[in-house]
Formats: sequence, C-alpha cells, structure tokens
Amino acid sequence: MEAALAAAEARSESIEFEQWVGQKADALMRFAYVLTGDRTLAEDAVQDALTTACARWARVSRADDPEAYVKRMVVNAHISWWRRFRRREAPVEDPVRSAPAAPDGAAARAESEEVWALCATLPDKQRAAVVLRFYEELSYAEIGVLLHCAEATARSHVHRALAALKTTLSKEGAEDA
Amino acid sequence: MPEHDPEQELGPKFASAFQNRADATEVSGSRMAAVARGRVRRRRQAVMSTAAAVLVVVAIGGAWNLTGSSSMNSETAGSAGDSKGATSDSGVQRTPEGVSSQPIAPQDTGCPAAHPILKAPATNAVPAGTGLDVSTPVSGLLACRYDLKRGALLGQQTYSPAIAQQVVDAIKPLPEMNSQLPVFKCAPQTAQPSEAIVLRFTTAAGIREIWVEYTGCNTPGFFTGSHTYGLFAAPLKLFMTGPVRPAGSTYLDALTGW
Repeated sequence: MEAALAAAEARSESIEFEQWVGQKADALMRFAYVLTGDRTLAEDAVQDALTTACARWARVSRADDPEAYVKRMVVNAHISWWRRFRRREAPVEDPVRSAPAAPDGAAARAESEEVWALCATLPDKQRAAVVLRFYEELSYAEIGVLLHCAEATARSHVHRALAALKTTLSKEGAEDA
Repeated sequence: MPEHDPEQELGPKFASAFQNRADATEVSGSRMAAVARGRVRRRRQAVMSTAAAVLVVVAIGGAWNLTGSSSMNSETAGSAGDSKGATSDSGVQRTPEGVSSQPIAPQDTGCPAAHPILKAPATNAVPAGTGLDVSTPVSGLLACRYDLKRGALLGQQTYSPAIAQQVVDAIKPLPEMNSQLPVFKCAPQTAQPSEAIVLRFTTAAGIREIWVEYTGCNTPGFFTGSHTYGLFAAPLKLFMTGPVRPAGSTYLDALTGW
C-alpha cells in the first residue's frame, strides 16, 4: 500500500516537473541568454540547473518561488569557477547579426547593440549583477545573496558597469559629433 | 547643474538592451525536462555503480585486513625472541587455518603463568583429573609453551575447534613411543627437559590437558596422565606454529615434517 502511494507520488511529482519546465523553460532560457550572452552557454546553464532541480524537485517545488530558485542555480552555474574554466577556450561561431536592420528606430537599436557589446566585455560577476538589476529588477540585497557577496559589493558591480557604459556612450557621441 | 543618478539615467538602456535581446532570441525548452530526467537517471545509475564498486573494494579490503590481523595477533601473542622458531624451513611464516584472531589476555583466558608443569617432577606427571581423554570431543585449543628451567611462559596461541579436534585425532592413533627417534645416553642434568608445551583443550567438562615433551633425553611424547603417545610430526605440525613453535630440540631435530 505504502509502495503504491510512493509510486503515485513519484509519478505526480514527475508530471509536475515536466509541466513546470514546459511553462518556464523559455523564460529561463531568455534569462540565461541575457546572463551569458551566448545561446549555447545559456542552454548548458539552464540544462544543468534543470538537471539539479529535477534531482531535488521535491524540495525545489516546495520553495516560495521555484522559478527564482532555478534562476539562482543558473547564476551559480554561470559564475562558478569550473564553468568559467570550461568556456575559457571554447570555440565560437562567426558573429551574426541577430536583429534585422530597419529604417525605423535605427539609432535606438544601435545604442542597444552598443550596450549588448559592452556587456560582453564585462567580468562575469559584474555582468550578472547588471542583468539581475535591470532584467530581473532585483534589489541590491537580493543580488548580493545570489552572487555570494555583500550588498555594497553588488552595488559596486552595477555602478562600475554603468560607468563603463557612460564612457562608451560618451566616446561614441564624441565620434559622431 | 544637479548630478544625475547614473542608474536612473543609464539603467533603462541596459533594461531595454536586455529585453530586446531576450525577445529576439529563439528559444526552445521543449525537451529540457526529458533531458534533465535522463541525466538524473544516468547520474543516479553512475552513483549506484560507484557505490557498489566501493562496497566491493571495502569488503575485499576488510577481509584482507581481517586475515592479516589474525596472523599478526597470533604472532604478537608470543614472546619476541621466538621469531626464528616461528618460521618454517622455507622462511615462510606458518599460520594454520582457523587460528583465532582474538588477542589473548594471559591473566584471564590465556596460559597460566604458574602452571603445574613448572613444578611437576616430570613432564609426564599430568595431575589426575586434568588430562584429556582422547575420545572426548573438543571445542577449542590453547597451546602454552613453557621454559621449564626459568619457569616462564614463552608463548601461547589459540586454535579453532576444527584444529583442536584434528590435533586430538592425530594423537589418538599414535603408538606409545616413536622407535625412529634416537636413543640418547646423557648426564642427569642434561636429561632434564628444558621446554614443554601444554595443550589446553576446551571440552564439555572444562579444560583438559595434554603435555608435550620434546627436549631433554628421557621421555619425549604426548602425555595425558593415563596414556603416553610417542612423539610424531603429524600432530606437532598442527599446533607448533607462531610463538609456540620451538627452534628445535634433540628430538625435533630428528623428526621431519613438523
């Protein structure tokens, strides 16, 4: 009787996981892509996080916000020393323009490209802090917890990135003028 | 001019850039759950396999250590000066099957330091009621090797019930004396034995003994008090191991295969 109940529980847990991933996978992938700046890395990070979440699904599903829990796993995976070591010499594809050129809003798109290009040059933690601040709209305290650093350090990461962006945009403006 | 908060000024640019990129990205997480489940299954299988392999290795190591410690304990139970006698002709330590791995506490379950053999007028003078009737089943054996001149215990060793019974069975059919042994004529002082072994068998009635004499030049053999059996190699080789194995003697030197 108990075995049957356990099996039924495992089955429903399994279904719940599949359903949850079906609903959240795209959002997780977008977040991971913004975080890593690379689709392959994003897939790797999300898949690893989901694998870990699957193994501990009973605990993850009981969390207040399972999506935030899994995103935290993605961030942890991205900033871990092992993953940084693995991708140190990873081959990359030729750059492709993902956003099609259009006559309208060209300037805004160019600025968006500049910001994206700048993000690619930021250190992993700085970039993660910026993504968590402006894409996920987290507080500095929450960012500090996610990045395993003090709130002041999280704030410092974001402000350095902002300073770098300001410098870049100023240079661009001067060149355009 | 008031200084703008860079976060308010530039933050939206980041937010906009991220949102544009995220929206423009084609993502497909359709198979991610299945892949995750497959990976978890494989990972668990790997963990189970590794755990099983570790268990096997630990079990083999444990058994190996148990065997090793058994012979070590047997050796350390004897006196330090007997290492030479504890080796066979080929130089290999003889450790019979079934030797107990339990260390012996001489004051409790081991050989008595003041054994009657040390004060007996002769090594065949087993006190009445203490000798073993060789037809009695035995369930254990403790061999005690004594220096009769100094009155000291030289070494002791325990044996399994199987070995104990084998010793008795090997003694039982022996004749009263071994005619192959040399006959010595020696002075009274050298005729006295210098060493003897007391075999203390565990029986249903308690401890029963056989005394073994193999030194001096008078009366070699196995003594139960009521019977005398000649000194032959067959029973000797079963218990003359480790600390209770003498280096040699007038009679042992004439025997082979002990």
